[in-house]
Amino acid sequence: MQESAWGWLIITYLFLAGAGSGAFLAAVACDLLAPDWSKALAKAGSLVSGPLVAIGTLCLVLDLEAGLWEPWRQIYLANNLSSMIAWGVIVLSIFIPIALLYAAALNEIGFIGKFANKYVRPLEIVGSLFALGTATYTGVLIAVVNGVPFWNTPLMPVLFLASAISTGLAAAMIVAAIIDVATIKTLSNFALGHVIFLSVEALVLMLLVFMSLTRSTEAAYSANLLISGLLSPYFWGLVVILGIVVPFFLSVIEYLEYGEMPKALVVGADILVLIGGMSLRALIVFSGTPPQII
Amino acid sequence: MPRYGMAIDTTKCIGCHSCRVACQNQNGLDYKETFNWIKNRERGVYPSFDKEYIPLQCNHCENAPCQRVCPTGATFTSKEGVVLVNPNTCVGCKYCMEACPYKMRVVDHQLGIVEKCRFCIELVRAGGTPACVSTCPTQVRIFGDLNDPNSEISKFIAQTGALPLRPDLGTSPKIFYKRS
Repeated sequence: MQESAWGWLIITYLFLAGAGSGAFLAAVACDLLAPDWSKALAKAGSLVSGPLVAIGTLCLVLDLEAGLWEPWRQIYLANNLSSMIAWGVIVLSIFIPIALLYAAALNEIGFIGKFANKYVRPLEIVGSLFALGTATYTGVLIAVVNGVPFWNTPLMPVLFLASAISTGLAAAMIVAAIIDVATIKTLSNFALGHVIFLSVEALVLMLLVFMSLTRSTEAAYSANLLISGLLSPYFWGLVVILGIVVPFFLSVIEYLEYGEMPKALVVGADILVLIGGMSLRALIVFSGTPPQII
Repeated sequence: MPRYGMAIDTTKCIGCHSCRVACQNQNGLDYKETFNWIKNRERGVYPSFDKEYIPLQCNHCENAPCQRVCPTGATFTSKEGVVLVNPNTCVGCKYCMEACPYKMRVVDHQLGIVEKCRFCIELVRAGGTPACVSTCPTQVRIFGDLNDPNSEISKFIAQTGALPLRPDLGTSPKIFYKRS
């Protein structure tokens, strides 16, 4: 296994940008689809969205070297539009302010909130597009890399988007449970969201692994690292069992029991989804293997 | 305008690492840092086997993935077809290192940028050859103009059928290997 040039800071960024943009999408879905009984979740989702993506972006900047020591160099970051990082810089610098404005609008924070409150619908429409862009872009960022054949597949952005939505929903549900204990009952309605998006994530992950096994020698090597090699205890333990299977069944029970499940288990399922999302990104980065050249 | 490339005859390489030391010397690199490597692998089965030494460095690809993904445009191809890094605009994001399928780019932690073999462009423009070429005691390396059909390198490639490493990766490398 060759060490990747990218480490934990980039992994954290991939995770936080996904969770933050997913939380935005969850908040918009709650505000639009079921406005009366899901206000708390919409508020919670909008509150965490901007800060999560902003902290993720900070990790990205901390991973720079010359660009960190001489921050003015960062003005060059959008010079070459054939680079996904340049597009990422553009998407992030539009999405973060929109997410913060949306949080201010839904939670009526100060005069900015009063002002932004008049434009909730436009913020939701434009913000959702950029949230989708942010979540997908984190996958495209590594999918266009032909130096690592395992990443170089259009399934990668789909997997990252599915994982972004489930981790975003989890982050929003945890914050909703913290800021408003009474919402714990209505949270059961959203357990269905977990059931759906965890299934999609599991399906795409399965496709990625199976197709990688036959795609190229290097992609197969990476996939084997995950399913039977050095990284397999983490893959099966953290990503598949703790990150997908356990929260999936907890969410099914939560949905069926409607509000009767102990709070610890409701929040516990969401924490497991977050652990799974972070582990998924770490394992994808660490299992990346370059082509055999000699 | 020349289009510089290199031909490497691995059958002549004895793995002495003179090229690495010459490169470090020319580029003022720390002893742990290098722009070229010699990897080896065993070929054949006992009792008919030997060890092949394969000198490696940036391939100066025509279609350089590192240049395509560089957000600041710090990585560029010079008019002579040499892939170079502008030390003043590189931010050290390391995307080029992920994109390079040959994994030939290295972080310079002193300058905070990602560097690579630059075909000793200052020596070449002054009429010389890269340090790794002139220093090689067994003349493994040939440096020259791929556009000139009468250059030593063009003739060598035509005669021996030397090929880049993993041409199937589609980056059109400009280092050609004669391996048997």
